[in-house]
Amino acid sequence: MSYDRCVRCGSCIILCPVFDAIGEEQYSPRGRTYLLQVMDLIEEDKELGKEFRRLLFQCTFCGRCSEICASDVDLLKVWHEQRGKAVSEAPEEFGYLDALGKSLANMMNIYGLDPEDRAEFWLDELEDEIPGIADRVYEEGKTADTMVFLGCLMSFRASQMDVLRSLFLTLEKLDVDYLVMGAEEFCCGHPLHLMGDDDGATKLREHNKGVMESAKAKRVITCCPGCLIQISTNHNLKEDIEVLHHTQLFDRLLETIPKYKQEEEFSYHDPCELHRICNVKTEPRSLLNKMGVEFEEMDLSCCGGGGLLRMTDPDLSDEIIQIRAQKEKLGDRLVLTCCPSCREQFLGANLRTRDIVEILADALEGGEK
Amino acid sequence: MKLRDIAIGANASIYLRMDFKKIKGVFYPRTEQEIIDAIATAHDGGYSVTPKGGGSGLSGACTGGNRERVMISTLRMREVLTVSKDQGYADVQPGATPDEINALIEPIRMKFWVAPSSRDIASAAGILSTDGGGNDTWVNGTMRDNTIRAKMVLYDGRRLTVDWNGVTSDDSELEAELNKKGMTISDVASAHGTLGFITELRVKIKPFPSEKLVGGLAKFEDCNAMGRALSELIKRKSPIRYGETVAAAHEDIREGLDLPLLTLEFPEDFASELKDILDYSDLDSEGLAKMKDVRIKLPKRNPNEGLQIALFEGFGYHGDNLLKMQDAIDEINSLLIGHGLALFARYGHAPSKWYLGDNSPAYGVILHSREIKPEDKTSREMFDTITDIVAKCNELGITPKPEHKWPFSDEEKKTRIKELREVMGTGFNDFILDPNGAYDTLSSLV
Ligand SMILES: Cc1cc2nc3c(=O)[nH]c(=O)nc-3n(C[C@H](O)[C@H](O)[C@H](O)COP(=O)(O)OP(=O)(O)OC[C@H]3O[C@@H](n4cnc5c(N)ncnc54)[C@H](O)[C@@H]3O)c2cc1C
Ligand code: SF4
Ligand code: SF4
Repeated sequence: MSYDRCVRCGSCIILCPVFDAIGEEQYSPRGRTYLLQVMDLIEEDKELGKEFRRLLFQCTFCGRCSEICASDVDLLKVWHEQRGKAVSEAPEEFGYLDALGKSLANMMNIYGLDPEDRAEFWLDELEDEIPGIADRVYEEGKTADTMVFLGCLMSFRASQMDVLRSLFLTLEKLDVDYLVMGAEEFCCGHPLHLMGDDDGATKLREHNKGVMESAKAKRVITCCPGCLIQISTNHNLKEDIEVLHHTQLFDRLLETIPKYKQEEEFSYHDPCELHRICNVKTEPRSLLNKMGVEFEEMDLSCCGGGGLLRMTDPDLSDEIIQIRAQKEKLGDRLVLTCCPSCREQFLGANLRTRDIVEILADALEGGEK
Repeated sequence: MKLRDIAIGANASIYLRMDFKKIKGVFYPRTEQEIIDAIATAHDGGYSVTPKGGGSGLSGACTGGNRERVMISTLRMREVLTVSKDQGYADVQPGATPDEINALIEPIRMKFWVAPSSRDIASAAGILSTDGGGNDTWVNGTMRDNTIRAKMVLYDGRRLTVDWNGVTSDDSELEAELNKKGMTISDVASAHGTLGFITELRVKIKPFPSEKLVGGLAKFEDCNAMGRALSELIKRKSPIRYGETVAAAHEDIREGLDLPLLTLEFPEDFASELKDILDYSDLDSEGLAKMKDVRIKLPKRNPNEGLQIALFEGFGYHGDNLLKMQDAIDEINSLLIGHGLALFARYGHAPSKWYLGDNSPAYGVILHSREIKPEDKTSREMFDTITDIVAKCNELGITPKPEHKWPFSDEEKKTRIKELREVMGTGFNDFILDPNGAYDTLSSLV
């Protein structure tokens, strides 16, 4: 396995957000690969095995370690495989993941809410403002060029409503022929993937694939980088269906954008899964530049919300974002980003945040409201 | 036992398989006082102390060998404490890396000019303890040349500060005795953590030079011819700003290059003098960048079949053996082949600088060595090859691992360390000075 290739050079230590928060080797990527390399020497100690399995879930899957590694160790793949192994070896240690697993198996969303409610909350809220939005919800027989995959967070969380509103307003303004998956959207399987359970994720993905293909979609867009990873790499869609992040779509459609009336200072946070795993780096910045938005780049570091860490170790997740907020003096600055999960993490730390599409919708409206 | 007692063993050397039960404590202090407290714990239990920085050292010194030991890491002490642009120094915590120091001072157009390839993780104290440097040591010197002073704590908690003039300490007797022995930074350099725990360093920082540089590529009949040219460059104290050789490479990665070759970067006005010394063709900036790229990628390349390994990493050719470099390379090659290893690549810094065990500077070539990983060798056989290499280096007057250091066979340095430890006390990385040599310990860790 590829952890054997690790030469323990240490280049991946300091940039790991989990190491940064705790400061001990076992939390660093090198510490973890080293533990794997000497596992045969410590295998007999059952308590160490248990501690190691716990450790595997104290990682944000930000991919900084994989990116820096010059020895081609695919660390994200290693963490993924090891998580799967850990859960199957000692399921009793992962009781805290049961509820999530059950919600996904029975309700096909992470919250265990009625699948019918996927297009319920936001429709109620947005129907008056965006007439005809209800017709955009997919039903059997309806087709469109673009299928919008909202993902669980965007579908159910009130905190994402402004982003949703801006997304739909922008799609309408640009005359995009689109449908939203609605009640026919199942979770993309990302949380199961992060637990190492790709079998469970496959069932969800197959359903989504069926819907996307029956709607004759030429492209699928999503605001969620986690969904983007799953749909673009694991949904096995026909080759002629393009999968895009919303920033990619809008950057492509809009050559020029009216200048955004900026009245405060912005910092831009690049979502790890978007830029490091999906390799979408230029489009969010290009959109901001086209709108004449001035922003400070934040470190290309993690918000602490990925890899299921919010669930598996919420205190650690909080600490990571607090450290960043302090280090990067976020204080009153507004953090721009383009990931619902990162936004939740910033909101949880009492930081103000907006998705790029909110700024875009304002600019297209002719200035900030 | 907890995972923290295991993970502290992580290090870049091939010495990684430890008896973890012998690790009796692991500390990640944030302050000097916490270091003192951690050392006191070791002292009370009668354990050795092993200081650990980034764990990027390649000689296994930060493993602590096989003694019952307390490990003290500086990974949580990486701050830059003060910067004085006018006086050209920065005070840093022991764990600060060159990259971290430079990130902070580059906005004021200053730089800490010690640049090992491991500069993203190697710690200031670790680099001083191995007297490391980058491929620019010919211009900028090694870590000792860039260190103004080091603060240390001893096994019994006494504190001292060492600089180029000597030692100061609250303990006047300690101060007087160490000064009688003439202790300076040179002694701390390359001591591999055997003298005490470095708690803070004052390092030199300098502005960026403004000079126009040009590139050149020289080819040679063999490494003897290259060695002669390098010897002349060294004699004339040539202003070479970048000098790297590719001396040999496996056919899978040679890419049609005529070897050995030497890529040089130097001030424009040195060009005519350089022509007197060696034949070279001009390299434009693109060509120079290409040759630098070829060189930097060599440690990461692999043969079409199998994996490369760095069994012994590096050899320092200097003085007379530089003139007969090819002959020495041939001898080492046949030793490696005799031990069943296939050769992969030879490349390195040329000209370069390092220090010998008696603190005299050596100028020559640091030639890195890579082999193809054999499938059928036991760890013991691999380690036996290493001991044979060290013996061969001693026979030929070649410095073993000049850059990453091989303290175990450096009798001059060890004698001096022992002399100083008679005053300072023991307790740190004692295994390196084991009367039976550290070889048995090391071979068990491969
Ligand atoms: C990919 C790679 C590239 C490298 N390139 C170079 C290069 O270009 N040039 C070069 O010189 N080296 C290079 N090295 C080797 C290595 O980085 C150096 O030896 C470096 O100086 C070690 O620093 P460290 O902080 O990692 O020390 P460690 O490996 O942690 O320790 C090295 C020694 O220092 C001692 N020590 C550490 N901290 C303290 C302290 N606070 N007080 C007292 N003793 C202490 C340890 O006990 C040990 O004996 C490379 C290594 C790797 C893995
Ligand atoms: S960067 Fe790669 S090789 Fe280096 S320690 Fe990390 S995983 Fe290992
Ligand atoms: S994925 Fe991110 S959090 Fe996880 S080990 Fe790598 S750098 Fe650390």
